[in-house]
Amino acid sequence: MSLLPKKGFWDRLLWTWRPQTDREAGEAVVANFLLHWFPNRVTLKSLAVRYSLYLGTVLMVLFGILTLTGVVLMFLYVPSVERAYWGIKDLDYAVSFGWFLRRVHRISAHLMVAAVFLHMFRVFLTGSYKKGSAVGSNRPFNWVLGVVLLILTLFLSFTGYLLPWDQLAFWAITVGTNIAASVPLVGEQIREFLLGGTLVGQNTLIRFYVLHVVFLPLALFGVAIWHMWRIRKDGGLAVVEQLRDENRETAPEPPEKTKTWSVLGIASGASVTVMDPSTIREEDAVPSSPFLTTRLVAVTAVTLIVVMLLSIFVAAPLEQPANPEVTPNPAKAPWYFLGLQELVGYSALIGGVVIPGIVLLGLALIPYLDREQRRIGYWFTDKPGKRWGAIGALWGLLWTVGCLAFGIRFPMRSLFPNIESQLFFDLINPASLLLLSFVILYFLVLKITSSTRTAAIATFCAFIVAFILLTWTGTMLRGPNWEFFWPWQPWPTHPIPF
Amino acid sequence: MNEVKPENSESRRGFLRKLTGWLLGVGVVVGSWPLLRALIPNVHYEPPKRFKVGMPEAFTPGVHFLDEHRLFLFRKDNAFHAVSGVCTHLGCTVKFSPFNQDKEMTVRKFTYLSAGEFHCACHGSRFHDEGTNFAGPAPRPLKWFQLELSPEDGQLVVDVAQEVDRDFRLVV
Repeated sequence: MSLLPKKGFWDRLLWTWRPQTDREAGEAVVANFLLHWFPNRVTLKSLAVRYSLYLGTVLMVLFGILTLTGVVLMFLYVPSVERAYWGIKDLDYAVSFGWFLRRVHRISAHLMVAAVFLHMFRVFLTGSYKKGSAVGSNRPFNWVLGVVLLILTLFLSFTGYLLPWDQLAFWAITVGTNIAASVPLVGEQIREFLLGGTLVGQNTLIRFYVLHVVFLPLALFGVAIWHMWRIRKDGGLAVVEQLRDENRETAPEPPEKTKTWSVLGIASGASVTVMDPSTIREEDAVPSSPFLTTRLVAVTAVTLIVVMLLSIFVAAPLEQPANPEVTPNPAKAPWYFLGLQELVGYSALIGGVVIPGIVLLGLALIPYLDREQRRIGYWFTDKPGKRWGAIGALWGLLWTVGCLAFGIRFPMRSLFPNIESQLFFDLINPASLLLLSFVILYFLVLKITSSTRTAAIATFCAFIVAFILLTWTGTMLRGPNWEFFWPWQPWPTHPIPF
Repeated sequence: MNEVKPENSESRRGFLRKLTGWLLGVGVVVGSWPLLRALIPNVHYEPPKRFKVGMPEAFTPGVHFLDEHRLFLFRKDNAFHAVSGVCTHLGCTVKFSPFNQDKEMTVRKFTYLSAGEFHCACHGSRFHDEGTNFAGPAPRPLKWFQLELSPEDGQLVVDVAQEVDRDFRLVV
């Protein structure tokens, strides 16, 4: 692709530098510290919005916003149980633009969690965790780094919403640390280590504060850099594999006849040509600067604008000051943990430890369970992939609705009033049933199609649907005492003071 | 010149490599132990586990919620007992939901007059007022705490570090 020359007045005004040749563009990347982050040339396919959706870039921008606002907020916040809540109140009413900083920080955190999930969905559905044919590529490992980043992001938001020290904060930490306590054998010790005592108090606040402002951001930053460095090492976005496949299919051009002057006179033969199909052809790629850099600037600008607008219109709530004596009713976690809270409502051990553990382990193992190397970088891989994805989504829909309906209509303890064993209720409940249905789905599809990729697509689509449905149920359909209410049903008021 | 046999030097190099590895490993463990151990408190600056809650006469017959201690004090005639208000599922505070009138119930071979139920706001667990969990995810019954009379001034003393069975009654 040829570079557009700088032409009119507006071009000159809006763009002071535009390379005239490929060579000039390449040299700029090598010479400039900020640009050397990027490869010299980048394929047109990997620039397409409909492939990557630029979610990684959005995440990096959000992390930047969070760091910037977070550092300013650190000057305005004191991590003490007496002062934390009133510091937040001051942000809302006494500090110039304090409300804005707080809203930007909170909205960016929510968007970051959402974008991490969407990014994971995108990478999975395009099969971008597969190794491919580039030398030194290790995309499976980069997927594992991505799972680590997901966990770090969730921990960052979890530690972050303790800091206002309001009712939401206090009870979220009470519930969260008690989930940790349901781990067999060492649970109580883990809980005391997290709390810095036996109760949620000053020790807990300072622990979560240090985790939130130092340990977790540094860890996330380090792993994120590693994640991006690996993209370069893996030969770019996985969509590049499409080009390599095309190169392999087209027959290599016959070497040109050449004549060379040699010692013995004119020698005729063939020129040296590279027959490696993994080499990206010149016409499939463009210089990173300006083609990639301008897109990154555009994505950054859009992300900033969305965050600013949302911050102006969406208020950051602050509940009453933390009160260990009264649990708000209903007591709900933020939306991204409500699917988990729904599962925890059946069994703390299964819903809070076993299922999240299996889901995270399963996610990390995906590229090692599915090693098929065909059609990397295509959404849903192929036609059967699309069909089984839809079937998986339907399966997830039916089983999730079924398990929820079953759990609501027939509470386990009412079905088996004479059983006292807790192990029975931990093992047999709607949450474990749902987990079992996913395992069945995977092996069923694997048996029918004998393709690990297709089985993985079906299971993953079922997982996405279950995640959304559980989150929606926890957010919209649960009322006081975690009872089920349709959106049009009013919640009862509780006249009893305690 | 000293001749060193190649296999000799190989094994020496291998030994030194292993030694370095082990030293590093042990060093990391020994070095990080103080860092981690310092974060496990030896002294808890927390409210006492044994506390006075007031004179027995101050409590009318029925159920009282002592909010700062998160426990329920039951009085029936002159018999007292204390039930924890902390849900055994994930630690939220349960609420007492009284019946219109007491009814006789048999729970786990224990027959008594029941005044109501405990409901948990967080995940919908329910308990009989003698503590047994009967609905929702709560894995265990609510705890019962030791009750005593203070020898000094006759106040009720609750000891939350000491659990008792559900037939416990302090008769004053």
